[in-house]
Amino acid sequence: MPAAIVATEISKTYDVKVRDPGIKGALAALVRPRYRQVRAVDNVSFAIERGDAVAFLGPNGAGKTTTLKMLTGLLFPSAGRAQVAGCDPWTGGNAFRQRIAFVLGNKQQLLWDLPPEETFRLNRAIYGVSNADYTARRAELVDLLVLGDLVDKPVRQLSLGERMKCELAAALLHQPEVLFLDEPTLGLDLEAQQTIRNFLGEYRERHDATVLLTSHYMADVTALTSRVLIINRGRLLYDGELSELVARIAPIKRIELVLSEPVPRARLEEYGRVAHFAPPSATIEVPRESATHASARLLADLAVADLSIQDPPIEEVIRIAFGEGEQNAEIEEESPVRVDVRRAPV
Amino acid sequence: MSDAATRSPVATFRDQYAELMRSAFLVDLQYRASIAIWIIWGITEPIISLGIWWSIAAAGAVDGFSREAFAQYFFGVALVNQATLSWDAWNIDRWIREGEMNYRLTRPIAPIHEAIADNIAYKAPTATIILTAWIVAAAFWPAVRIPFEPGRWALAILAIVLAAAIRFLNGYATGLLAFWTTRATALVELQFGISLFLSGRIAPLSLLPPRVAHVAGYLWFPYVLSFPVEVLTGAVKTSAQYARGFTGQVIWLAIWLALYFLVWTRGRRHYGAVGG
Repeated sequence: MPAAIVATEISKTYDVKVRDPGIKGALAALVRPRYRQVRAVDNVSFAIERGDAVAFLGPNGAGKTTTLKMLTGLLFPSAGRAQVAGCDPWTGGNAFRQRIAFVLGNKQQLLWDLPPEETFRLNRAIYGVSNADYTARRAELVDLLVLGDLVDKPVRQLSLGERMKCELAAALLHQPEVLFLDEPTLGLDLEAQQTIRNFLGEYRERHDATVLLTSHYMADVTALTSRVLIINRGRLLYDGELSELVARIAPIKRIELVLSEPVPRARLEEYGRVAHFAPPSATIEVPRESATHASARLLADLAVADLSIQDPPIEEVIRIAFGEGEQNAEIEEESPVRVDVRRAPV
Repeated sequence: MSDAATRSPVATFRDQYAELMRSAFLVDLQYRASIAIWIIWGITEPIISLGIWWSIAAAGAVDGFSREAFAQYFFGVALVNQATLSWDAWNIDRWIREGEMNYRLTRPIAPIHEAIADNIAYKAPTATIILTAWIVAAAFWPAVRIPFEPGRWALAILAIVLAAAIRFLNGYATGLLAFWTTRATALVELQFGISLFLSGRIAPLSLLPPRVAHVAGYLWFPYVLSFPVEVLTGAVKTSAQYARGFTGQVIWLAIWLALYFLVWTRGRRHYGAVGG
């Protein structure tokens, strides 16, 4: 079976107008505009098998969304080839568009003034879904996403999380083979994020859909996929298991502490490297294998109000791995392990 | 995978249009108060023009235009303008600048069809309201009665449809310049300013200075308003006048259609897919 997504050496270069500051600069740009070439995506290649889920990670402006926009046919590449669901995204036309869905976390397709049901009806017609299939798929999506009577409320009255659930339902009524998700949980509360993660996992299993997503939330990534593509400054830096990368590059865990009594920094150095010290908070990095032991010692020795064990932020992993220096990263990480000291066995 | 492949393309297309028009109509219903204000605004301009020309013609016909002829002309302007107006450039500008074009480009239907359906859903009911108002006015005011000639009315409908298509493609293609520039809507406003004179909005074209009327004849403006209005009111009489008018409409329709395809295909390649 051919891969669902194959990108071969795709690049995207933009001409960006260069303008010096001030009125003089503005006038000069009018008379003699200057352009600088910016390579947003640089020679990126990868393949994703049908039914697989892969996460695209990287700092803001790394080229994730640009790559997604190329693979969905929105943007034409400056170089390279791609096959998505057996079609060329740029010449595949409507046959290609029938096979994919692209959900953007910060842009909606739901008709703002009408209930989501109206967008569902519209998409049924636009994608040419038969009435029988529409009825069955709508019922399945309403059930999986727990939409209930949300479908009958005007979109403008729905919360962000409710809108995203309806957005996903609208995008999946034509049962696409390949699903592109750009920040699907952006700005949602934890409960809504969890509902969407559960839904995407369940949906993918049921329909053997291929998923390529970008997210700033590591929990999205760990819940939905184990394979990651890491991109930075337009270049693909890593393609493989996330756990492997973290273990290989940054074999540490971070213990985040909130102390209820003052403790000198030197005292904390006994447990590991103090990465951050701002009393009453502190972060200590320890080897992965000794994280549990070190936590237990900290809880036993010191007055700890709160403690959590986390993987290093993916930004840091990227930075360590590729020595990229400073990055303007905003990737957030939720703590995969959280210990409540009032109940935790010590 | 959807089922489009198993249905006839015509049936799918018809279904798409029906649903696009339905949802556009439902959205319009949410904005009924705004639409009522826009309709009133739309008829204000021809009513003011009529008031001015009515006063001027008090002493007698102006270049062959009696008071009654002015009344019929400007009622015609109100109706034809409502049926042909174009706001699409502003929509496209927003779609492109704010990233709303993105999802439209991943759907298996070109965005222009959404705009056409939106136009039909808005113009059919609102032009009917103006037509009804005209019929009611004609019951009480003989000056605005036009002769009962179904054949001419049928030709007037054809001229109005062609005018609406030209104006739509003109606005849509100009709006698509937003792929390159942030000033696409300014270009539309410029055209609107010119059209006030050259399309016959503020005065029948035959009252314009001959040179201006001559220049207008080389542009699309007279074919989107003046010509359909004059077919409707009976000012277009001879076969030669009909032939010249419809030929002009077909030529300008072809030109704007070609320009639309050109701008669309080039613009798609140039698109930066901003936002999201």
